[in-house]
Amino acid sequence: MKWVTLLLLLLPFTTAAVTLYAGHRNEGAVKGLAVGGSLLTLGLAFVVAVPQLGDAAPETSVFTKTDALEPVISLATHVDQLSAVMILLASIVSFLVQLYSVGYLHDDPRYPSYATLVSIFTGSMLTVVMADDLWMLLVGWELMGVCSYFLISHHWELAEARAGAVKAFLMTRTADLGLLFAILLIGDRTGSYRITDAVVSAADFELPALLLVVAVIGKSAQFPLHSWLPDAMPGPTPISALIHAATMVAAGVFLVARMYPVFDADSLTLLAVVASITMLVSAFYALVTNDLKRVLAWSTVSQLAYMFAALAVGAWSAAVLHLLAHGAFKALLFLGAGSVVHAVGGRTSMTAMGGLREKLPDTFTTMTVGFGALAGVIPLVGFFSKDAIIHAGLDEVRHHEVIDEQAAWLVLIAMLVTAALTVAYSLRAWLRVFFGPVDPDLEVHESPATMRVPLYLLAVPTVLGGLVFVDPSQVLGERGEESLFHGSMAIAMTALVAVVAALVLYVWWSNDGADPWAPPVEELQPPEDLVYDVVLVRPLHALARAVVIHDREVVDSYANGAGASARGLGWLLRLAQNGSVQQYLMVVVIGAAAIAVAAGVLT
Amino acid sequence: MPLWWPLLLASVLFAIGVYGVLARRNAILVLMGVELMLNAVNINLVAFDAYFRDVLHSGQTLALFTIVIAAAEIGLALAIVLMVFRTHGHIEVDELRELADRDVA
Repeated sequence: MKWVTLLLLLLPFTTAAVTLYAGHRNEGAVKGLAVGGSLLTLGLAFVVAVPQLGDAAPETSVFTKTDALEPVISLATHVDQLSAVMILLASIVSFLVQLYSVGYLHDDPRYPSYATLVSIFTGSMLTVVMADDLWMLLVGWELMGVCSYFLISHHWELAEARAGAVKAFLMTRTADLGLLFAILLIGDRTGSYRITDAVVSAADFELPALLLVVAVIGKSAQFPLHSWLPDAMPGPTPISALIHAATMVAAGVFLVARMYPVFDADSLTLLAVVASITMLVSAFYALVTNDLKRVLAWSTVSQLAYMFAALAVGAWSAAVLHLLAHGAFKALLFLGAGSVVHAVGGRTSMTAMGGLREKLPDTFTTMTVGFGALAGVIPLVGFFSKDAIIHAGLDEVRHHEVIDEQAAWLVLIAMLVTAALTVAYSLRAWLRVFFGPVDPDLEVHESPATMRVPLYLLAVPTVLGGLVFVDPSQVLGERGEESLFHGSMAIAMTALVAVVAALVLYVWWSNDGADPWAPPVEELQPPEDLVYDVVLVRPLHALARAVVIHDREVVDSYANGAGASARGLGWLLRLAQNGSVQQYLMVVVIGAAAIAVAAGVLT
Repeated sequence: MPLWWPLLLASVLFAIGVYGVLARRNAILVLMGVELMLNAVNINLVAFDAYFRDVLHSGQTLALFTIVIAAAEIGLALAIVLMVFRTHGHIEVDELRELADRDVA
């Protein structure tokens, strides 16, 4: 088993190397290698992860460790229930994304490097979820940042793709410093970099926990570093599915869930406040955004905030299950959005769409399921996970065991308002894409089979995933003892969904079937970006200009002065070279005599 | 014979040689100055060889070596002087300034 785990870690990277080597030599082989490699990874993932579900004891393996350093850094894996479900999520979604990309990027000249990066991305995520050593986790964590940079800038001829990639990299990288310092502090305080040691340690983790919160704020796009995720949308759509559903942003939630015993009331309160602000703000943006992919991106930010809110109120298993549920339906939604975008010729704005339900029947069916799960429609998986989280929020307001009462109220209110907004923006996007007037000039065609099959495969867990919530211990073992399904909550939430949906439909109808929330401009720029512009970008530009001027005026004049003085001295020496050999010799003789005299005087 | 006799002779010869090299304008006379300096050194070598009673006679050996070098040197130098005379029509050393840095002054 130990070596199978190691093989699972190495396989995606091997696939990446082989794919890159095949490159442009053989296009067909590249597709086969990329899909075959990820299928093999998926098979190994089942072998490693399935035995760990339920009541199984976690499996920890140490492969090698440094012997010159204290505390030791080790190559160690720890596969428990949480790792197992994350391994399954990451490998399933990345396999489906590879399969889907064959159709989506069928004549893209950059397909080989794309497939390579997807494999590395998968491998990094598997490294993060299986790592027992914090440094190993950091390696996977940073590799994901790099891969997302390259994949977002896949269409690097587009200015917004380059800008989005740089923004994503800078924002996540800034927050990653939090993880680095947290790791150093944990190592210093516990004498070990192993996660399994840290979570049972009694050391003071107040500062490391706050730093970990900073790290996940960046990686999972929470306020105030939330604006990179929507700007990452110029990347290919399957990549958005991968980043939003199974890797990258999910890693932040995973990290908090994995290190959960480390977090104390202070850091969880910070997490609760951040999550509350994020879920509200991003749900509002989702409601007034014109671009289909950006709507989904804002909804991801909002749903991730849900998971953090659940963790902040102590609902560990609800958060993890919402992460899985969100992974399924958000991958479905993004791949469906990719199918729509593919069908309408690469445009992502919803103004280019409308009335597509008859032209794209398969995409319509599956995306309806996905939007339903996002909105929380019974009996789809999103309904169960969201209810479990809101129920946990209600419990926290009553008993406030983890955070204090004000924070608990804030979280609960934010969750309820966000739930209503989620229904509204899901319904709005669904109506705008699939209903309403059809653009008669549009040549619409349904996507190829490689793109439709993943949609149906993802629809299965989205529909049936709710069964897990009846008895979560089947998946999460002893940490998921309690049933997460509550009858009264289900009735209240269904009523909320129905009322909001009716309200949206009424507003829609009274607006003559046009979108009442269409923004006046094509794309709204979030005001936070303006704040960043004024507070960070412009001062930095001014500073850079000042540095340039200083370099040109001060540093350069020193350099030029040094050159000029050397030249002047050289000119003096050139005067001596007058061509008279006898004068040269005279200098030599005088010099030799002077040295002889000096030697005589000094000794 | 005391050591300082040959050393004095060598010093005088060397000084005359230096004067010849530095002060004479005729290239042949400059070369003669060089020869005087070389032979002053030879006298030193032989004098010290005798003074230390060196069983290997390295001083004498080195003196012979210097004589050979001097012969080769003078052969080469006279050839150069000949070429200078053919190209310039004179062998005045202080007139030969082609290698000066002409850009200065």
